[in-house]
Amino acid sequence: MDEKTDFLRNRRNVCVCSCDEKRYLKFYAEGMKQAMNEPVIELKHITKRFAKVLANDDVSITIHKGEVVALLGENGAGKSTIMKILYGLYHATSGEILIDGKERKIASPKDAMSLGISMIQQHFSLVPAHTVTENIILGNCKGKIDMKAKEKEIQELARQYGFDVPAGEYIKNLSVGTQQKVEILKALYLNARILIMDEPTAVLTPQEIDTLMEFVKQYVAKGNSVVFITHKMREVMQVSDTIVVMRNGRISGMVSRSETSEHNLAHMMIGRDLEVLQQPGQEIPEDRKKRLVVEDLTIQKKDQAPALDHVSFELYEGEVLGIAGVSENGQQELCDAIYGAAPVTAGKVLLDGEDLSGLEVKDRIARGIGYTASDRYRYGMVSDMSLSENMLLKSSYLDTWVKHGLINWKALHKYTDDQIQTYAVKAPDHSVTIGSLSGGNQQKVVVAREVDMGQKLIIFDQPTRGLDLGAINYVHKTIIDQKNKGKSVLLVSTELSEIFALSDRIAVMYKGRIMGIYRNGELTTEKIGLLMAGIYPEKEEEA
Amino acid sequence: MQVFVNLIFRAFFMSTPLILGALGEVLAERTGMMVTAVEGIFLIGAWGGFIGAYLSGNMLAGFLAAMFCGLMVALLYGVTTIYMHQHQIVMGTAISILITGFCTFFYRVIFGVQTVPLKVSPLKVIKIPLLSKIPVIGPILFSQNIITYLTYILVPIIFFLIFRTSLGLSMRSCGENPEAADAAGINVTRTRFLAVAVAGCMGGIAGAYYSLCNVGMYNVEIIGGRGWIAFGICFLGNWNPVGALIFGIVFGISDALGTYVRALGNASIPSELFSALPYILVIVLTVCRKQFNVPARLGANYVKEN
Amino acid sequence: MNQNGKVKDLLLWTFLAVILGLFVSFAFLPLLGVQPVESLKIMLTEIFSDRFTMGNILIKTTPLILTSLAFAFTYKANLYNIGAQGQFYMGCICATATTLALQTKLPGIVVLLLAFAASILGGGLTGLLIGFLKAKFNANEFLVSMMSTYVIIYLLQFLLRTVLQEPKREYLKTAYLDSSAWLPKIIPGTSVSLGIVIALATAILIWFVLYRTSLGYRVRVNGMNQDAAAMSGISPKRMCMTAFFISGAIAGLAGFTEINGMQHMLLTGFESDIGSYGIGIAIMANANPIGVIFAALLFGALQVGGTALGHSTDAPASVIDVMLGFVMLFVLMSFFVRHKLEIRKMKKQKLQKGEA
Repeated sequence: MDEKTDFLRNRRNVCVCSCDEKRYLKFYAEGMKQAMNEPVIELKHITKRFAKVLANDDVSITIHKGEVVALLGENGAGKSTIMKILYGLYHATSGEILIDGKERKIASPKDAMSLGISMIQQHFSLVPAHTVTENIILGNCKGKIDMKAKEKEIQELARQYGFDVPAGEYIKNLSVGTQQKVEILKALYLNARILIMDEPTAVLTPQEIDTLMEFVKQYVAKGNSVVFITHKMREVMQVSDTIVVMRNGRISGMVSRSETSEHNLAHMMIGRDLEVLQQPGQEIPEDRKKRLVVEDLTIQKKDQAPALDHVSFELYEGEVLGIAGVSENGQQELCDAIYGAAPVTAGKVLLDGEDLSGLEVKDRIARGIGYTASDRYRYGMVSDMSLSENMLLKSSYLDTWVKHGLINWKALHKYTDDQIQTYAVKAPDHSVTIGSLSGGNQQKVVVAREVDMGQKLIIFDQPTRGLDLGAINYVHKTIIDQKNKGKSVLLVSTELSEIFALSDRIAVMYKGRIMGIYRNGELTTEKIGLLMAGIYPEKEEEA
Repeated sequence: MQVFVNLIFRAFFMSTPLILGALGEVLAERTGMMVTAVEGIFLIGAWGGFIGAYLSGNMLAGFLAAMFCGLMVALLYGVTTIYMHQHQIVMGTAISILITGFCTFFYRVIFGVQTVPLKVSPLKVIKIPLLSKIPVIGPILFSQNIITYLTYILVPIIFFLIFRTSLGLSMRSCGENPEAADAAGINVTRTRFLAVAVAGCMGGIAGAYYSLCNVGMYNVEIIGGRGWIAFGICFLGNWNPVGALIFGIVFGISDALGTYVRALGNASIPSELFSALPYILVIVLTVCRKQFNVPARLGANYVKEN
Repeated sequence: MNQNGKVKDLLLWTFLAVILGLFVSFAFLPLLGVQPVESLKIMLTEIFSDRFTMGNILIKTTPLILTSLAFAFTYKANLYNIGAQGQFYMGCICATATTLALQTKLPGIVVLLLAFAASILGGGLTGLLIGFLKAKFNANEFLVSMMSTYVIIYLLQFLLRTVLQEPKREYLKTAYLDSSAWLPKIIPGTSVSLGIVIALATAILIWFVLYRTSLGYRVRVNGMNQDAAAMSGISPKRMCMTAFFISGAIAGLAGFTEINGMQHMLLTGFESDIGSYGIGIAIMANANPIGVIFAALLFGALQVGGTALGHSTDAPASVIDVMLGFVMLFVLMSFFVRHKLEIRKMKKQKLQKGEA
């Protein structure tokens, strides 16, 4: 039943989109003729180097009047960085910015705003404890504030754009979708003519997305421009004129929407070597033991859409189950829930038949679960501690290195030195702080630890994010080795190539649900792309 | 009846410096800065105020000196925390220790060794014509000193400043979401620094209240944790000037009660309990009271990335 | 950057900051008509003049080591216990009460052991209460611990006025402890008791706990990265209560060494500064338990020297407070300067690498 309604809903979505597209194309045929060739913003050869990474490498983008530009790319591709430079939040290491043909220095968001550029960040820069009006007029008012008059002014502005926003309400009492409208109103209040939106649809419901798209069309029709930062191909196809694809801080493609397809975009986003690495998944013999059973796992905070929505699956010994999906579709919640680090609303997790409900993290660690969290810096390591100390992190309650409360440093140091050797960590010895290593080497240390902690099950959440090729290969090799030793591996990744290269079976997650579980080899890139966007391909074909 | 009037008069009298200090603290904490040097600021205010008034023979000079001293300590605190990113609690504690030594040392430098404590006559009360004649209320509310009047007038002024002006909006934003404030073109570090400076001036005067209005003399134990109580009042009053006023009066009453019980000299009443009452109140209220207006980024230094 | 280099850097900078702090404080002395160089000479000669004075340094150092360890331990867990003064008084009260109640009834050594345990328990439970309020109600531990000291001061006064007061009921103090319940003197010709050994042993023990046991390891992890701690099964709430109990217990222990080792009675306003001095010393030592020993020794020496200076010149004892204050301030600033320099160095290295 559930499946059926889902299916219907998705079908409808598809329908709506194609209708929209038609209207849209017509609309554009006229718009394009008039103003499209007038560049408003030209970013030329922008390079941005942070302390540890090169975020943008010689990036050039042109934004025209009345145009919607989509910046497409995976997490960490550098798309937010380049726009933050345009908005004055970061300063480019080199390169220049031309606005209306004139070179400009944008030192702060204030400068950007006075040039008519506004940016709506992924994490809204609103003050939750303040009202809508207070948030909008912040920094743009003087002396005594006549709150009544301002509220009226804001309410009028909202009405003009058909936004249902209560001007006197506190931000913390508003839904995420309404908060976004407040952000947009803030930009409109400042008469922005270029609106940058960073992942604007990530947190919205389908209805809210529709309203947003409607607004975008209305807004550009007035001769303004919009930049859409996203990693969702569907949106790109729905709304943009020009699509800029970024990968590893560089532009990997720039096309106009009419000349491309989702398949094409996927290639540009992910790279070309997909098929080559794909390995068919192994058959699961009948007598294989079920290692991990997840039943109806649900996480839902009050008055919010569920982060995990009745997730059920089984994981066998000696198997890698890949979880594919666009980031923030419930993957982290799933990992945390299995590990005991997130409170579960409903459902249960069984490991080798034992119900883990009610067990703390330390008890689950003791039962042989390892977990490399995606944000290793925050959850996986203590950067000011030595490598040995970081090796001990998960086992401080176990008797591996601790006897009667005393730490056996000698053994731990030796173990750490051995692990440095085995994993080819670039570090002089066990005594250096993990924070002083490069990202890849940090991850090797974390992986080395979790592989030993996870005697039964290892959860890898984005194990290779931000690593260089060498480190990636190493981590991949480790995962295969562990599987061959009979351990079960849950691999979460947004890199499809990684999922294809390592998994036996692949589950696709979308909005906290599992769209389906497939044997590796059953899915083409196209098919998985559709699943990741919440569409069942078979059913579409049937229809 | 007379006892009651005296007690309540005393409560308002003793609440003044606590409210004044707490108001300064509210201003600073709304921008995200805990002024943990408050005990030191109170102490140097009491010290500087006494010295100024004693040497010049003029009360106004005393309060100006107190304000200046409080400002200097606040600036030291502001520079080290806001611009040198030192931990607010560690720095405030360190400064409070430094000020204790500093005041004792320089009191000695200026006045040498004294056998009888030096005194100035405490600040006179100003009886407001007509109003002070009203029975009960007159002697309680309208026969206070100028600092008390000013403090009570400051409450609505600061309330207005924080909640009804653009400056107040900017300040609150710095404490709630400095990144957003920064993006809106507000200079977060400068706003915070100025707020701390103002809190320093107010704390200095509050400290001088103890030496110049209450006893007319100075010793190193004169503040005895009252700075921390002002700090606590700011928390308990939910970072709202009106809340600071209410809790200031509550602590004024408990302070007056303690003095009264001590003066009775009745050994069967544990006067220590009454003396400890303000401190116990802070603990109990901190635990019981749900704090719902905590500036989201209170106590966190703002370091701009790039 | 390698670990040894960092430690060396830290020591060097802290040393410089201490020297600078002392220099600035000495520069104030001419205001009192005292020559800085002259006073330094007086201090040094006085300190090393005889065994008794040198012994005094150890006596002053004993409680300072403990109160500063108390601050340092919670600091390692990123918590702020600034109520060591109150926990110290709690330890004093418990040690005195236990000793007065049991002395001459039980053998001296038993009384001592019980007083020892009582002081630890008294301070520890006071600390635990603060930790509990923080863990359970998210009360501001900084404010609560600060206020607890004042409450305990009045409690002490009350007790000294009532149940604990000396038989003659003249002064606010207790009776003298029976000499059978005194900590033995360990250095002939001085008043140095076993207390200093207890303090040193505690410092080493705390170092051992922090760096050699899983408990201390968990405390440190919790202090450095609470998210990672929680993800590793280390409960921040449990750690908060544990750290506060241990911190309070150490401060309480100072009560035992002071009462049974030095003062042999309890009176009001007793050692009213060691709580804040302890914080200063802990900051000076960057919360390292072994560093605390040396910082406390330095401070003990300054105190004795300062007192001597007060006897032979016009300088008041408060010059010590000024010194501590400035030294602390400069040590804190040195952290900032060192951090800046390190970043600059790292940037330079990056650039060189980039060019190569």
